[in-house]
Amino acid sequence: MNKAITLKWVAMLIASVMLVACAGQKEPATRAVADLEASIASIRDDAAKYASAELQQAEAAVVGLKEQLTREDYKGVIAAAPAVSARVASLQQVVSAKREEVKAAMVAASDEWRTLSAEVPQMVEAVQSRVDILTQSKKLPKNVTKDALQAAQTGLEAAKAAWGDATAAFSAGDPVKAVEHARSAKESGTAALSSLGMG
Amino acid sequence: MAPEEPVPPVPKENPYAQKYVVKKGDTLWKIADEFYGDGKLYTKIFEANQDVLKDPDKIKPGQELRIP
Repeated sequence: MNKAITLKWVAMLIASVMLVACAGQKEPATRAVADLEASIASIRDDAAKYASAELQQAEAAVVGLKEQLTREDYKGVIAAAPAVSARVASLQQVVSAKREEVKAAMVAASDEWRTLSAEVPQMVEAVQSRVDILTQSKKLPKNVTKDALQAAQTGLEAAKAAWGDATAAFSAGDPVKAVEHARSAKESGTAALSSLGMG
Repeated sequence: MAPEEPVPPVPKENPYAQKYVVKKGDTLWKIADEFYGDGKLYTKIFEANQDVLKDPDKIKPGQELRIP
């Protein structure tokens, strides 16, 4: 009888110790998952743009930890958290590097835009002026054929359209896209100038 | 004291506009014929160079003209 009581007490003691141990791991485990979720939330938008596959992997890993929390497997959470944390840190590095890359591209595009925004309208104006005059001429000059004038008119329209897209993109806060369109406009304008013997 | 003659506005320089340096024997008609194929369009050149030309019949060798 005494032995049975003793065993019962020992079993209860072990259970109590385990309960205390588990309770002691619950808080750090819960905090670890919350910290990981907060880390991901802070970079989610950019991560979705720049590293969607890595983001999905990190989020899946955190979902796994949350399932372990639900099962009260705090020890398992604490054991697995460092690997997930490393994965999230890696994702943060990728996002941070990409942000720097995008920032540098924006600065470079803004510089190029300053040049193009001065050049392209002047180029378009010069071509437009000559096209307007040549369309009033009874005959074309020796160095400009009818086809060349037609090509210049087509190039002029393309340059104007691309320049419209460029200014719209710049107004929308996208200097990179603006520069792409502006380069296209300059290319069309240069070809038109060349067709008119002005290049 | 005579009133100051109004100074025509200086056209904004466009680096893509063509330039032409007047040679001996040139006329605006001749230059327009060369660049436009039609001498009658000389007025376009005159209008674009009013800061340097007062009279379309008076151009001087060495003058640099904008050809719009």
